[in-house]
Amino acid sequence: MIAALRWFVFALAAIALNFPVLVTLSTSFKSARELSGNPGLWVNAPTLENYMTVFHVSDRLNIFLYLFNSLAVATLGTVLAVVLALPAAYAIARGKFGERTLLPLIVNLRAVPLIIFAIPLYMMFQWLALLDTRLGLGLILAIVNLPLALVILVNAIRDLPAELEEAALMDGASRTQILLKVVAPLCRPAIVTSLIFGFITAWNEFLFGLMLTTSKAVPVTVGASFFFAASGGGVQWGVASAVMMVGALPPMLLGLVMYRQISGSMTAGAVKG
Amino acid sequence: MGTISLNKAGKRYGAVEIIRDLDLEIADGEFVVIVGPSGCGKSTLLRMIAGLEETTSGQIAIDGRDVTAASPVDRQLAMVFQSYALYPHMTVRENMGFGLKLAKVPAATARAKIEAAAATLKLTPLLDRYPKELSGGQRQRVAIGRAIVREPVGFLFDEPLSNLDAALRVDMRLEIAKLHRTLGATMIYVTHDQVEAMTLADRIVVMKDGRIMQQGSPRDLYEKPANLFVAQFIGSPKMNLLACRRRDGEQLDLSGEGNLALSMPGAAAPEQVGARPEHLSLVAPEAGHCRGVIEASEYLGGNMSVFVRAGRLGLINVSAPADTPFRVGEAVGVHIDPARASLFDSLGAAIGARQ
Amino acid sequence: MPLILFLLVFLGFPAVVNLVYSVSDVSFETLRQPAYAGLKNFASVWNDAAFWQASWFSLRFGLLTAVLECLLGLFLAIFLSPLIERRSWLLAILMLPLMVAPALVGLMYRLVLHEFVGPVPYYLWAYLGASVSFLGPGSAFWTLVVVETLQWTPFTLLLFYMAYQAIPSEVTEASAMDGARGLQRLWFIELPMMGPTIAAALLIRFIDGFRVFDNVYVLTGSGPGGSTASLSIYIYEAFFKQGAIGKAVAASVILFVASFMVLYGLNALAGRKKGAKR
Repeated sequence: MIAALRWFVFALAAIALNFPVLVTLSTSFKSARELSGNPGLWVNAPTLENYMTVFHVSDRLNIFLYLFNSLAVATLGTVLAVVLALPAAYAIARGKFGERTLLPLIVNLRAVPLIIFAIPLYMMFQWLALLDTRLGLGLILAIVNLPLALVILVNAIRDLPAELEEAALMDGASRTQILLKVVAPLCRPAIVTSLIFGFITAWNEFLFGLMLTTSKAVPVTVGASFFFAASGGGVQWGVASAVMMVGALPPMLLGLVMYRQISGSMTAGAVKG
Repeated sequence: MGTISLNKAGKRYGAVEIIRDLDLEIADGEFVVIVGPSGCGKSTLLRMIAGLEETTSGQIAIDGRDVTAASPVDRQLAMVFQSYALYPHMTVRENMGFGLKLAKVPAATARAKIEAAAATLKLTPLLDRYPKELSGGQRQRVAIGRAIVREPVGFLFDEPLSNLDAALRVDMRLEIAKLHRTLGATMIYVTHDQVEAMTLADRIVVMKDGRIMQQGSPRDLYEKPANLFVAQFIGSPKMNLLACRRRDGEQLDLSGEGNLALSMPGAAAPEQVGARPEHLSLVAPEAGHCRGVIEASEYLGGNMSVFVRAGRLGLINVSAPADTPFRVGEAVGVHIDPARASLFDSLGAAIGARQ
Repeated sequence: MPLILFLLVFLGFPAVVNLVYSVSDVSFETLRQPAYAGLKNFASVWNDAAFWQASWFSLRFGLLTAVLECLLGLFLAIFLSPLIERRSWLLAILMLPLMVAPALVGLMYRLVLHEFVGPVPYYLWAYLGASVSFLGPGSAFWTLVVVETLQWTPFTLLLFYMAYQAIPSEVTEASAMDGARGLQRLWFIELPMMGPTIAAALLIRFIDGFRVFDNVYVLTGSGPGGSTASLSIYIYEAFFKQGAIGKAVAASVILFVASFMVLYGLNALAGRKKGAKR
């Protein structure tokens, strides 16, 4: 009896929490004609025409450019964050440096409203001609990803037995060799987690994309909102839904496949940070 | 060659002194075991020799060369860690070859050395496995193998057997002893287990609070402990200590519970007699040096550990034959072998023993 | 270390720019020659009713969503844990909203709540015969609270589920031997043991709710009538829509100082608590 109630609650929660995604998914398969008469969840005559429209490149909407931009900036922002965080995490975890100042500073960074940095960065990017470039947005996303990557890596390195590094020291390894040949391979799960998590965060970022890009480097989150704003005579809801599904799908798939790693890192970031 | 000498070596963390002005000379090919209770500084001392801990005062020299400030690899020592510290992402072969690879030893030479070491340690069939696929004893051998291939001037062991179960520990102990005979290299071995110390060492160094309490052959330490600490630390079960006072000449009054005649220097003023359980025997109540009542006895197979309550002398542990006729609750006499008893003065230093 | 250089360029420099511009008379035309203007910008922020309205919105929004997310997450985590224990993929379904960009979720709700094509008004008409203007004055705030809560409840659920699982079974067994029944065990044993996690979740969700931008911005902008402008949106609009650089930057500095003060205060508090426990 109680088990049935639990399943009922689960189903209710699953539908309520995922409701916007479900609605968008269903709408994306409806023709314009069906949509005007049937706003409900059920699709009577599923069609792919919305997706055909989305993937048909036009001046108003170049989904491939947006997707490529998102992919490029998310990759840069994620890889750079991990590359920068790994040596710092090693130094911090081994108590050599920055444990009292750098770590809390960067961790707190995660809690500061991003808008604070957005305005000066906008001006700085204007001077450096980085506005509306994938490089510029990628650099900023690295900053966004740094805190969590650092926390995950510091925790992972702290869990490695110090004797391993001492053994490497006795074997004649330098600090850099220890980092690259002993610490990094052993932290591979944590590095993978930071990469996945960072990629999802970066892909989903909106504020910096909105402020720092206008056309060439627009990521898909911002591109989708353009589509809403720019449509003069009313939104084509079917096409809009298809755009949103395409933009939301990559991180959702990644999340579904890697949910174990992600759930672990979320807890680590929350409790230890 | 592999002589290691410490000259007034010291280690302090801020105000805390871990090792104080320690002098130690280790000859080439010697097997030295450092023992002491936990926190005595024995592991710190080993790590100072390895170069993993900074030496804050004094010098450490290897083969006459001052290495106090040298990096671990420049000291040409190898270390076997308590947890083995095998690299989990490398195979046995890669683990053993990592140091050679870093030292840019040609691949063919390295391969030969690894295979020779593996043959010595019976690891040949395991060379391509990962550490997680090995048993505790096999991991231990890989850790030793990793040390051997580098052909160091000396080996350092930090409680290497403490993670193994009892039966395996005995086997590995024998293997390490054999290895020492084959290689003839200098070995320094830290343990808290006095059986390992007694069986392996050419020389035992007993430490307490960052100082050396006594050093010498296992037999010296057992038979002629320099002080109460060593007397109590070496030997199992522990040595009995009986409070006493010198009466006249060579007669001792055992707290009014008995008498014992022992030869001793004229000026000596012993306050305690030390007697190991195996040097005591149970006799008829009137025949011993003191008397008491058996409070408990433990059957240990080969012998019997008997506890005698002897008034002001407290509980005396006597090692009796397994078929001893005396029973719990019986009054007995305790006979002390005068030739094997030790005497300690008010400061705990042994009387008449060599320091 | 490269990290420090990177931080200096991308955080240190902006911080300096913020400080300089916050006390300068500056516009898009005079970006390179800021003229010192004292605390004028801070005064204009201080005297701006919209700033206080935005602060009040952010505070209320942050607190309300944090509490709702934690209550809902706690209930779901504990009530559903017998199901999830055996089938961890259920967790993946509940976690899915976390993977979707908040900006896209905001856009999706424009569809969900749309008066002609949205399923929610459609079903309300069909079953209740009435619907609400979800984004109109009065209800927009509550709509946003629900949108934010539904997206981020999976986060607290996840955290609480992990913490709940981490309670050693010996402890619950011991309390059962002591005669504690279901709810008593929950109240006296399990909730106190999850205390630190609950506190952390409340804090994290409050911070995220307080600085909310993406979903609110795409769903309501700041309307109706500025009633749903969070502090982040206030600063964004001051900068991009009004071109009031000085004011926007001054507000940023105020926000920056306030958040760092709160964070370091909390860190110090947490540190002392830890010390006291030892």
